[in-house]
Amino acid sequence: MDWLSGISITCFAASYLVVFALEISRIFFRKNFQTFLILGVTAAGLFAHSVFLVLQTQLQFDRTGIWIGNWSTWLLVAAWILVAIFVLIGGRKSQSLIGLFLWPVVLALIFMGTVFGLDQSFNSSQARSIWNMVHGFSLLIGTVIVCMGFVFGLMYLVQAYRLKHKVPHSRFFRLPSLEWLQNWSERSLWLSAGALAIGLISGIAINGLNDSGDKLIAWSDPVVWTSGILFAWLLIATLFNLVYQPARQGRKVAYLVVTSFLFLVLELGIVWWMGHGQPVENNVERQTAGLSIVHEAVYGGTPSIRRSAS
Amino acid sequence: MNFKLIGCSHHRSDASVREKLAFTDNQVGSFLERFYDRFPKSEAVLLSTCNRTELYAAGKQSDLIPSREELIGILAEHQGLHVNQIEPGLFSHSNEQAVFHLFSVAASLDSLVVGETQILAQVKQAYQIAVSSNPDITLSHRIFQNAIRVARRVANETDLQANRVSIPSIAIGMLAKRIFERLDNKRVLVIGAGKMAHETLTYLKYHGAKQIYLINRTPEKAESLAEQHGGQAVPWHDLEHQLSQSDLIVSATAATQPVIELELFDRVEKIRQQRPLFILDLAIPRDVAEEVGDRLNVYLYTIDDLRQECDRNRKSRESHWPAAEKILRAETKLFMQEMQRRGGGAVIAQLKQNADTIKASELTRLNNRLDGLSDADREEIEYAFNRLVNKILHPPLESLKDESQQGTSGLLEALKKLFKLTD
Repeated sequence: MDWLSGISITCFAASYLVVFALEISRIFFRKNFQTFLILGVTAAGLFAHSVFLVLQTQLQFDRTGIWIGNWSTWLLVAAWILVAIFVLIGGRKSQSLIGLFLWPVVLALIFMGTVFGLDQSFNSSQARSIWNMVHGFSLLIGTVIVCMGFVFGLMYLVQAYRLKHKVPHSRFFRLPSLEWLQNWSERSLWLSAGALAIGLISGIAINGLNDSGDKLIAWSDPVVWTSGILFAWLLIATLFNLVYQPARQGRKVAYLVVTSFLFLVLELGIVWWMGHGQPVENNVERQTAGLSIVHEAVYGGTPSIRRSAS
Repeated sequence: MNFKLIGCSHHRSDASVREKLAFTDNQVGSFLERFYDRFPKSEAVLLSTCNRTELYAAGKQSDLIPSREELIGILAEHQGLHVNQIEPGLFSHSNEQAVFHLFSVAASLDSLVVGETQILAQVKQAYQIAVSSNPDITLSHRIFQNAIRVARRVANETDLQANRVSIPSIAIGMLAKRIFERLDNKRVLVIGAGKMAHETLTYLKYHGAKQIYLINRTPEKAESLAEQHGGQAVPWHDLEHQLSQSDLIVSATAATQPVIELELFDRVEKIRQQRPLFILDLAIPRDVAEEVGDRLNVYLYTIDDLRQECDRNRKSRESHWPAAEKILRAETKLFMQEMQRRGGGAVIAQLKQNADTIKASELTRLNNRLDGLSDADREEIEYAFNRLVNKILHPPLESLKDESQQGTSGLLEALKKLFKLTD
């Protein structure tokens, strides 16, 4: 089974690129072989992706004691969940071009995973606790749901535009109904806010339980305040959706979930561009570094500083 | 035979033109009254559907039926329009072309949704109204009865109507499904209780709609339709409330003014709070103010908006076209030959009658002058006269018969002109 260890990111990324190309081809023509190819190549890609993640997480656990030990793996796991969701939805909505909107997100996550690199690791001193696992898992799920919400919201906007402007029904360019897209956009909004709230609470718990004097991140760190904005946005959007009836209808829901995703992209961009926040060393500064929790709430694990340290 | 038609259809006139020329059943009756007041020796049938308005005129002599301009004039006059407002959108045909057109219309080859069956019922209804206005429409009887027969033949002998489709079936099956995931939990309001509403209800039920409300100015009609399809009839004054509660509205009334005006929708919109609404306006003239479609989360579709879907349907049925068209061409030719034969027969009879009159008159004159002739001599002279007339008439009559077999009418027309004969 040595060949399994030879599986790289390129293997499954290439498979997904092929599937994306096949999805694009379905805009222009429809043949049975496309569906079989899409399913077959996705399955192959998902298998390679799974093997890669199993090996990586095992390796990271052996090295650091945590399963998802760095940003890269974290993003690749998010991409893996999105692909699994695609397989589940694709079975029910095989005629719809969901992949056309989903694959770019999956590929972008994989690309970001490669940009971050597998050699950077989270600080493992706190990451072994139950709170950290809850924290990391809920934030991972929250991020995936924000991505899915974006896909549903974008499809809603495209479908609504086509209907409003009376674009003729296409045998090839098919999307799910507005009702289905609206329902899932709304669920995405609520679920992502819920998942991130759990992440936030668990982050507070982690910090509350931490009396070891570990390094924390300063208030002024861009990642901290943009993370705060993302969570605040999701909270406001959810409350807006809950309280204001028209925000639960049609395009407004789509705008909310698409905007949430844009915040997420901004976050990831800042993480990539600026690296992690600079830690503050003492317990006094720690009192003022409450927003670092939000950072954790968004990205999971205790952000380590290995890249900046190195 | 003298037969002509003038009209507009979905092929070259959009809804804004067609709704100006749309007639309700009552209006058709009043139009025909006006027509016969002005052209008493002509026959008329007016076919008015959401996709076409066609006026057919027939007469025994060409000078007895109105000219194209007169037909346009009376249409415009009845609708309170100026001729220039409607003339650019009108087409006209006469005789064989007009017959072929009517046959195509009745067989639904000219329909927006090729293969739909509603048009045949509409042709029959137009014919019945014409008969009730003037029972003595001999020529129209023949043409329309043949059109109905030919439409049935096309339906029976081709697959044009296989997997039956109609405008409502396309609208519900393709459009509603792009907006709603399912219809069983949607509140549907059907405005109007005519044939289109009936057809729409069939497809709504087929696609699982359960909460169907029917509203009509004549409540008895809505109740009857509700009984047939299992919906619930609601009174007309409840319209505003129904609009505020519905997810899907299908409007197909014969109203001459919009049923859902912008002011009414403004009031409804406040209650709806931007809940998505799909409005299907299947009426001509349109029932819903165009501006309603600009409102947020409102998807308003009219018959013209379904054109693309209908064109696709047309293309998918193109393989059945040659067979249907072949039947129509053959039937048109047979019909024209039959009409020629009938027309030729009348001309021949007149020609013979004229010759006999002349012969009898000349014989009488000769008998008066020749007093001493025996009965045998008189019989011999009469026999000679008969032979003379028959021999003179035989070649042209034979040529006429040959021509009527071929379905042409040049000789017949020439003979009519030469001998001043009528059909």
